[in-house]
Amino acid sequence: MKGRRALLLDPRVRFATLVGPGALFIVLFLLIPLLSIVVFSFWRTESYELISDWNVNNYEAVLGEWIYLKFLLKSLAMAAAVSAICLVYAWPCAYLIAKHGGRYKLVLVLLTAAPFLTGILLRITAMQQILGPIGLVNMALMELGAQPIQVLMYTNIASAVGLIYLWIPFMLLAIYLSLFNFNFELLEVAKVNGARPWRAFFEVTWPLNWMGTAIGIVLVFIPTFAASVTPRFLGGPDGSMFVNRLEHQFGSAGTWALGSAMGVVMCVASLAVIFVLWRTVRLRRAGFTGAGA
Amino acid sequence: MAAVNPGARFVIGGQTAMLLALYLFLYFPIFYTGYLSIMENNVWPFPPVFTGEWYDRLMIMSDFHVGLLNSVLIGVGTASLSTLFATAAAIGILRYPIRRRGVIVVLFLAPLFVAQILIGISTLMFNRNVLGIPGNIESAIVANTAYSVSFAFLVILAQLVRYDWRFDEVAQVFGARPFRTFREVTFPNIWPAVLGAFIISFILGFNNFEITFYNVAAIPTLPTIAWGTLRHGIEPELYALATIVNALVFLLLFIIYLLIRVGALRLGVPDD
Amino acid sequence: MSDQAILRIEAVEKRFGAVRAVDGVSLEVGRREFFALLGPSGSGKTTLLRIVSGLEAPDRGRVEIGGTDVTRLPPYLRRIGMVFQDFLLFPHRTVAENITFPLKMQGRNAAEREEQLDWILGFVRMEGLGDRFPHQLSGGQKQRVALARGLVSRPELLLLDEPLANLDRELRKEMEIEVRRYQEELGIPFVYVTHNQEEALTMSDRMAVMHQGVLEQIGPKLEVYNAPATRFVASFVGAPNKLSGRVIEGEGERLRIDWGGITLIGRSVGDARQGDRAEIYLKSERIALSASADGIHHENRIEGTVRDIIFKGQFADYIVRADNEAELVVSGPPSIAGVDRGSRVNLGWAVEAADVFLAADDEP
Repeated sequence: MKGRRALLLDPRVRFATLVGPGALFIVLFLLIPLLSIVVFSFWRTESYELISDWNVNNYEAVLGEWIYLKFLLKSLAMAAAVSAICLVYAWPCAYLIAKHGGRYKLVLVLLTAAPFLTGILLRITAMQQILGPIGLVNMALMELGAQPIQVLMYTNIASAVGLIYLWIPFMLLAIYLSLFNFNFELLEVAKVNGARPWRAFFEVTWPLNWMGTAIGIVLVFIPTFAASVTPRFLGGPDGSMFVNRLEHQFGSAGTWALGSAMGVVMCVASLAVIFVLWRTVRLRRAGFTGAGA
Repeated sequence: MAAVNPGARFVIGGQTAMLLALYLFLYFPIFYTGYLSIMENNVWPFPPVFTGEWYDRLMIMSDFHVGLLNSVLIGVGTASLSTLFATAAAIGILRYPIRRRGVIVVLFLAPLFVAQILIGISTLMFNRNVLGIPGNIESAIVANTAYSVSFAFLVILAQLVRYDWRFDEVAQVFGARPFRTFREVTFPNIWPAVLGAFIISFILGFNNFEITFYNVAAIPTLPTIAWGTLRHGIEPELYALATIVNALVFLLLFIIYLLIRVGALRLGVPDD
Repeated sequence: MSDQAILRIEAVEKRFGAVRAVDGVSLEVGRREFFALLGPSGSGKTTLLRIVSGLEAPDRGRVEIGGTDVTRLPPYLRRIGMVFQDFLLFPHRTVAENITFPLKMQGRNAAEREEQLDWILGFVRMEGLGDRFPHQLSGGQKQRVALARGLVSRPELLLLDEPLANLDRELRKEMEIEVRRYQEELGIPFVYVTHNQEEALTMSDRMAVMHQGVLEQIGPKLEVYNAPATRFVASFVGAPNKLSGRVIEGEGERLRIDWGGITLIGRSVGDARQGDRAEIYLKSERIALSASADGIHHENRIEGTVRDIIFKGQFADYIVRADNEAELVVSGPPSIAGVDRGSRVNLGWAVEAADVFLAADDEP
């Protein structure tokens, strides 16, 4: 009995009891499945069955054949462009809310985050009826006797607009949370010491909030890079992305091993982006003081 | 913000315009969907002619009720597991200053940085080829939890950093055992955060497409029904479905907003 | 005393990483005793209190409460009362619910809780405020509720962790008297942790001074104040002058010190010997100050010039520059006949008032 009570006093045991189940769950149902596709990616598929015959053919195909590489590069370019646009647009908005939001900060931020939760498919539905050939924009133009805007109909541009629509809330939220913990009086210090507003921004605000910004970039880049529904329903005939090729392997093609290799390539590419951004955060020694700040 | 010079005013004006444009960009499609859902002509619905036909059609759609039920099941299951794991982990991490707890925080946030579709296909492959489990509601709940637990964790952690754990110590010194302490002191103070996490993870599980799609086999859910319909072009029933879901989401978010206000009062901090 | 002890701590040790927060502390607190544990922040006094309460487990040593070994017992089985820093009243509970919380945890029935509540509300002079919530109370009221919650179940021992630290001066003075009254009327032993020597000296019967995890001195408060056992206690308790010099010769307890050309006699504490560098700790209120040499009858007498007089209300600090250019602070009445800025004055003090220690950097 005494032994048991002594155990209860030990904080390490309590910590493990509380944190353990969730941690174990994530390891079992997120990390191990992810590792399993790494294994499958070195196997091969024969009539819809995986066969443990170790080889690197899948990677040779994904990285060596232009039809796959082309889609990979296109997806990366799309993700980079969408992240950049979200970054440039979200920054001023987040800054305004954080600095001048006053007592409405919470409402203003929740309003930007809310649409994210309405679900990807329904938001794409909404986008389609506005940008599509018989969507609001083109119908309005035709009513007015003007020409429809071709680039908005089933193109990569429409796809990009859809992706920005889906993921800009993440960027804004990440930057806002960083600015929320940022001491704006530091700017006053910079200005008192002779920095003009723009100079003060790039000397003080931007570096100190780079970590939050980098998190925002990652949070937009990864789902954009892996977006399948948006390019499929908004992108039109040329809209297909790397992920759509990947899905094809798991669907009608039934080439599971090749699909797994494509998944691994996606994962590695995402990790590379995270790693590069993490290096810049460390190099800049952003004023990160810990989670509770 | 007393002495604002003209240049600064110009910048603030520009930022305000951008923010308003963003709200318009985010919300116009949502409200327009609602408008279309009650319009007889949904190609060029001007002037408006009202109809309830799309809702009627949705209600008699064969899969709709089953799909709704399944989505609710996935949502509730995901939310229950996510909230349980996230609450326990957040308490453990904030309460006990174990040296390597940073690793655990990273682990709980890791799902945020994995593309949903990768979670979907990897769990599908693992369940099918290693465990031999067919796709069903349960495996969809498990896979969704592996993703939503991050959001639940963030929501709870963000609010619990403001809770003073010494209250638990007070209760223990005065004779409350650990469970009693949780019931009498901890939970009455943190329930808004816990309920907030539950709602967020419910919505994520309820609406999820990419993870659910690969894990439910042929069992219909609302997002997979929407996907099936979208493949053949938009049917007006989708507007009705979207409007119902959007209304539900906004209602739940309004509850969260109220909870944050209550939570802020409870934890004794100014409510901004 | 030993069989009278309600709390007995034996050789308790606690490390946090490389830091020895509590380093081999032993002490006893008797029944009906008001015991103060005084130390600067980081001295380990709060850790020691948390070990007594069971909120922290010691690495080594034993804790006994009322004759029972509680070293491995969790806090909820120790049946003690505690008053926390910042009050820590449950924000979601009323005053009455806060106060009766310990009774509820002990499984007392509603009638009994009601009765105890009425009694304690009267005792701490908070009648009629039972339905308020903590945020509706003033600082002093919160303090009374925190004390009432600690005392309501008449525990064997009440621990108090810097309970007055967040009150303003006026209120603190009032509460010092109030806390002392609770202890005397209820006869419950109090262990009172504080970094404020005034609180310790005002309220306690006995006190202990803690520094870097070690108990430096333990004893009746006057003894600790008047006869510090270590250099740390001498420097921390009271507001002493510190004079640096060298030991000329020593005979038993009496040491003759050369203080920058002036020869003084002090009481040896520790082991300063002939030729050692020494520090003399001299409490400012134990120095006599007079305009004329006739007013001084002590063994140590020096002359000096008043550089400044700092008025403090009921008394004043006289900053006196001795002829060797060193300065001394002397506490005295707000005005002394014939003494003003620039006045020549005579100072004197008893041998027992000057505690001589080996200087810090000469220690092994």
